[in-house]
Amino acid sequence: MSGLFKDRFQVAIAGCAVSKIERRSQRSLGAITVETALKAVADAGLKPRDIDGFTTGSLLPAYGEHTNIDGFDIVSATWLSEHLGADPRWVCGFQGGGQLTGSVILAVNAIASGAADYVIVHRSLHNPAGRYHEMPMTRAREAAQWTAPYGFWGPPVAIALPYNEYMQRYGATREDMATFLVQTRKNAAAIPWAYWADKPITREDYLNARMLGDPVCIMDCDIPVDGAAAFVLTSAERARDLPNKPVYVAGYAQGLPAHSQAYRSLDDMMEDGSALARRLWQSTGLGPDDIDVPQLYDGFSPLVYLWLECLGYCPVGEAHRFIQNGAIDVAGKFPLNSGGGSLGSGRLHGVPHMLEAYLQLAKRAGPRQLAKSSTAIACHSYPDIGGAVVYSDQPY
Amino acid sequence: MNYEKPVPEADALSGPFWKAAREHTLAMQCCMHCGRYEHPPTGLCQGCRAAQPKFEFRPVSGQGTLVSWTIMRDSFIPSFRNDIPFAIGLIELREQKGLRLIARLLDGPHARYRVGDAVEVVFEDITPEASLPQFRLASAGQRK
Repeated sequence: MSGLFKDRFQVAIAGCAVSKIERRSQRSLGAITVETALKAVADAGLKPRDIDGFTTGSLLPAYGEHTNIDGFDIVSATWLSEHLGADPRWVCGFQGGGQLTGSVILAVNAIASGAADYVIVHRSLHNPAGRYHEMPMTRAREAAQWTAPYGFWGPPVAIALPYNEYMQRYGATREDMATFLVQTRKNAAAIPWAYWADKPITREDYLNARMLGDPVCIMDCDIPVDGAAAFVLTSAERARDLPNKPVYVAGYAQGLPAHSQAYRSLDDMMEDGSALARRLWQSTGLGPDDIDVPQLYDGFSPLVYLWLECLGYCPVGEAHRFIQNGAIDVAGKFPLNSGGGSLGSGRLHGVPHMLEAYLQLAKRAGPRQLAKSSTAIACHSYPDIGGAVVYSDQPY
Repeated sequence: MNYEKPVPEADALSGPFWKAAREHTLAMQCCMHCGRYEHPPTGLCQGCRAAQPKFEFRPVSGQGTLVSWTIMRDSFIPSFRNDIPFAIGLIELREQKGLRLIARLLDGPHARYRVGDAVEVVFEDITPEASLPQFRLASAGQRK
């Protein structure tokens, strides 16, 4: 078994839309999502009645004493399928890690199998009132009983443990990471819909940013926002009859960790992430050097180091050096997160990465259009539990 | 004075862990078929996946090594904000590779920590009913 994806290049992205990304919207997430999905349908040259498939991963917000109402705090595939004026015959939620890549994978398989012809993959995220992750609990139940009684709670400090392990082992510094943040925020500054549009930062801004849990500072974490994006996927054959240049799915992989997810070490994450990368390159028949547009998930900045190393762009322990000296400038050979990533665009999970992969390969990136844009990778989440999809502007 | 921080709530799996902790014993869930420890406690042994799971909580040495740590400069749990800064460690117990837990490092935020530092358990009574296993450096400069 080679692992080569049988249906590679058989499914394509035909259009997309992204909402305004704002800190707190006055509108319900459902209203934002329906408007955005309708724009995506129109962008693909279709009518709502053409859409017969829906998928998303609607995880988060899931912290504090906050409860989620579908259509308001979250938008499930089922909810959107009932509110778009479509004619659904396939609706499926994704429950694993890497919600955006995971739901793209579901959509690709549904289209390749004929379960649906035109699928909306959406991702909607809400920033609830109050402080994000605030957890005023006095009883610690379930998984929280092992961390909250100690004062340890929340993803931003959870990533501090493997990141500190990385720094201690490989001699990485916050000065090294400043290079990545400055570049990402520079990229985002030029993107009109990015939350941090027109707001580049200096190295000093980063180094002086408020610390959450050493070595993680506030600028290492994407900012929670209200926003949504929608992509229309269809078969390659149908996509060729639609107005936009099709962007083909060349293959994918999901993180399927062999290690327990409780308090994993850096080595655990790297082993499982490297296994994802092996499956990805087997699925696509491509390798890291074949990719023109690398969009690696950066909801927490250290994840970019892990993706760079797992995917094979540099040896393990070298990512903090690999990104220095202009190596990731958008004008250079490795335009890492030219789409501004999550750190520049806001907490829309894998949306900025997939959006940039699509826009570049469809030659719709405007002033940002890269000289080489035939292939792209878009990742979401951690490399051990998340996912990655590779795209191509040609069906070969 | 009321204790305002989160108190661990024992469930069907974790009850013996917290009961032992109250008696200042670190006891970890152990598979009676293959001897593998699990933490957090589970309903299926990841080692032998026995269809008739049989677990007991066995006292362990309370000695381990520091895998990583963070100095908390903020807390999403408001009742910990007066403690800032404080040190949190990821500890791997001596008994088994990958057998890890999270705890406070009682040497505090200004101690010099290194990956692989030897640590040992210390119990903190937080309420008359609940105690937390915490950790401290076993002795200066001692490494695994």
